[in-house]
Amino acid sequence: MLENSIFAILTLFLVIGSLGMISFKHTIFSAFSFLIAMLALAGLFALLENSFLFLAQIMVSVGAVVVLGLMVIISLGSIEKNIPDEPYKFYWIALSTLLVTPLALLIYKGLLTLHAHFNETKEGYGELKSMGEQLFSEWVLPFEAVSVLLLTAMVGAIVIARKEKYFKKKNYFDEHKHQEDTK
Amino acid sequence: MIPEQFFIVATLLFSIGLVGVVSRRNIFVVYLSIELMLSSVNLLLVTFSRIDQSMNGSVMALLLIAVIAAEASLFLAMIIQLYRSKRSLDSDHFNLLNQNKGDL
Repeated sequence: MLENSIFAILTLFLVIGSLGMISFKHTIFSAFSFLIAMLALAGLFALLENSFLFLAQIMVSVGAVVVLGLMVIISLGSIEKNIPDEPYKFYWIALSTLLVTPLALLIYKGLLTLHAHFNETKEGYGELKSMGEQLFSEWVLPFEAVSVLLLTAMVGAIVIARKEKYFKKKNYFDEHKHQEDTK
Repeated sequence: MIPEQFFIVATLLFSIGLVGVVSRRNIFVVYLSIELMLSSVNLLLVTFSRIDQSMNGSVMALLLIAVIAAEASLFLAMIIQLYRSKRSLDSDHFNLLNQNKGDL
């Protein structure tokens, strides 16, 4: 009974957070709604008796991803004229909801055919120790692949976000050429 | 507590993320919606791990969290780069690879 009420509260926060995320006009409110949704998702992980993923979700998804996103929003300066004007936003949302509903029903039907039920938890399920044993015995190769992926993403992010001096020089050159032509 | 409740929540999250990707033009909301869809898959993995009583699904979910972090860094760098070149957060303005620029 207690579990069910906790589940209901967390689901309420999750749905309100994600609906707010797609309907707010200002970007920073969307990011805060997403923060609420991610915290509720971490709560759901805890409800599934997976303490390590609860911590990982809070540390990575909330602590790193959302905070990084908020920093980007703040540094871009989300002033009124930069935000796209979407007068028909709610019509689009209603239309795409109509289109997505059959897909959602399909996914849910597909999941229902699994006919599974929660068993009693075994000793040590969801703890850091059993997680580490799995991760470093059967999942070593994907783990290493993810570390390479993170390194690549870091280098890629630096290369993408850096200022492009080459293009600046080219523009400068073009302007000079234009000035000489007008002379 | 039955698994069907978690299936409903995961389906709902995925659908809301898909609606956000399809219907919004603010590129930041599109990014957050993609994150939401990935997180719904994560919830599903953890649910199956709990049903199956093995840590395999949880380890997969942990690796997926790492992939989400990598995706976030790349997407945010891309947003910064696009904002620097166009001074806008509207996804319709980013048509650098489009041949018919007058169409939009």
